Amino acid sequence: MLALLDQPGSATAAPITIHDAFDRTVTVPAPPRRIVPIFASNVEMVAALGLADRIVGIEAYTRYPPEVLNKPLVGGRLGFSVDEVVAQRPDLIVVTPSRQAANQLVDPMERLGVPVVVLLQRSVAEIMANIRLLGRICGVAERGEEVAARLEGRIARTTERVAGLKPPRTVMITGRLGNGLLLVARPGTYTGDAIVLAGGRFGLESSGVIAQVSPEAILKADPDVLLFAGPQKDLDELIGRPAWKDMRAVRNKRAHAVSRGELLIPGPRTIDGIEHLAALFHPTAASR
Amino acid sequence: MKVWLGLVLVLAVALVVGACAGHDWASHVDLMRAVAGDTDLRSRLLFEWRMPRVLAAAFVGGLLGLGGTVFQGVFRNPLAEPYLLGSAGGAALGATFALLVPLAVPQALILPLLAFAGAWGATVLVIGISRVSGAVDAAGMLLAGVAVAAILGALRSFFMLALSDETVSLQVVLSWVLGGVQTPTWPGLGLLAVIAIVCLGLTMLLAGRLDILGLGETMATAFGLNVNRFIAVAVLAGSVVVAAAVAFGGLVAFVGLAAPHIARWLVGPLHRPLLPASALVGAIIVTLADAIARSALPPAEIPLGLVTAVAGGPFFILLLARRLRT
Repeated sequence: MLALLDQPGSATAAPITIHDAFDRTVTVPAPPRRIVPIFASNVEMVAALGLADRIVGIEAYTRYPPEVLNKPLVGGRLGFSVDEVVAQRPDLIVVTPSRQAANQLVDPMERLGVPVVVLLQRSVAEIMANIRLLGRICGVAERGEEVAARLEGRIARTTERVAGLKPPRTVMITGRLGNGLLLVARPGTYTGDAIVLAGGRFGLESSGVIAQVSPEAILKADPDVLLFAGPQKDLDELIGRPAWKDMRAVRNKRAHAVSRGELLIPGPRTIDGIEHLAALFHPTAASR
Repeated sequence: MKVWLGLVLVLAVALVVGACAGHDWASHVDLMRAVAGDTDLRSRLLFEWRMPRVLAAAFVGGLLGLGGTVFQGVFRNPLAEPYLLGSAGGAALGATFALLVPLAVPQALILPLLAFAGAWGATVLVIGISRVSGAVDAAGMLLAGVAVAAILGALRSFFMLALSDETVSLQVVLSWVLGGVQTPTWPGLGLLAVIAIVCLGLTMLLAGRLDILGLGETMATAFGLNVNRFIAVAVLAGSVVVAAAVAFGGLVAFVGLAAPHIARWLVGPLHRPLLPASALVGAIIVTLADAIARSALPPAEIPLGLVTAVAGGPFFILLLARRLRT
């Protein structure tokens, strides 16, 4: 009894019940101490709440933040291991339905009674909502609110700075397929949100639901700004090709390599990405 | 008798090895503690997740062995296997549909049902085609089966391309197609056990007539067997067995082909001993292959169908070569 009273906070921690992205009802009995967040986005959100030291397992493609990189691996390219997850004795698992994570982990963890939360962050708004949700689940609701509000404040200041300026027509290449097709950022995604919030607009008129476009479509659109999510040398190789050299964006030196970590992982760093995009779109406004 | 005792013993060892195997190897003490109802997280993992999975793998293997034996018996062809007649392809199409199309029915229920409907439908289609075209013999049916399997495979690929989105990952379907035993709940495992026993009984009813058919169609007719009718019945029975295996284990390559051969070397060609022996051999192969799939490449799990083909293939070739030499 005395031992219980000696731990401030533990007596007041009530179970928390939430609804996740699969509309499952998840009850977390007490603030989790051993968290396994699957995928970089979920790791970064937990870390942004100041809880990196509670992370006890990650998957192989998690590259940030540095302090979690030596944690045990519970999954990788070929899938996720129920054995390895359980070996970390987790009290919370956070997954996103990508690769086979939700498929492979939700059912066994439910049977074992370990809380599993499925999160989707398809837009910047969902990133913010999930930071707040994770704050509540982890028993640091105030910090979640604070982190999300601070990030929202940075977005607001950026949109304010670029308000009224002419948005450059932008194409962001996010990947290259073996058959020569290119993947581009689309509206209705967090990467698409980032372009618009940073004061740009989509350069491909018909960029609807299909993410794969032919290089001809990009050449024809001839955007004001060409962005390439990846290393500078890959961008140089691409825009060194015959027709690409004559593009408006390339001639005007407005073809830029941008960070994949910031713009292709939906997490707190996406806000850094938005600020960096704003600086590329409106170089003069950035210094205002 | 010695052979049977040996087979059962090997299966028992395989089951224990399977239960120990994983990224986190368990000892026999861990297993006993888990069975005794220990509430520790790791014990519950062993009892609620690993043990049903290991037993399900054994049942799936047994069903594949049975199905393969029936098909090889019906077509009197050592190359016959469940995949040739479209039943596996049909089951895969049904399961792909269940995985990709959001239906108002729980997936745990609809997936086996659609897999079963697919296998049954494909087989009926094959029999129908060979009837209509007048090629009711085994060769005609095999050819119709190959054609139907090709069409079903193409349809499945189309569904995978057209229906998958980012949330319902294509990888879920792909991993199912590559084979992998679903982990049932204990009641689900009970259902699987009942299905397996019913399938064994069903195929045993065919055993005597499969032996007669083995003498050749002319001879079998002389013995008073309605050959075409029997072939149709036996093929349907075989597809029931395959549908059950596919519904619980996805497309596990190669076992339906290899298990009956190995069993034939052990107990001879008569179907009454051959059917249960094939089931035991199939159970052993899949249990061990599943153990490899779960433990070889931590933290990943290799699709079971790849393990059975890659590890089982050379082993089978070796056995075959030794057999042919003696």
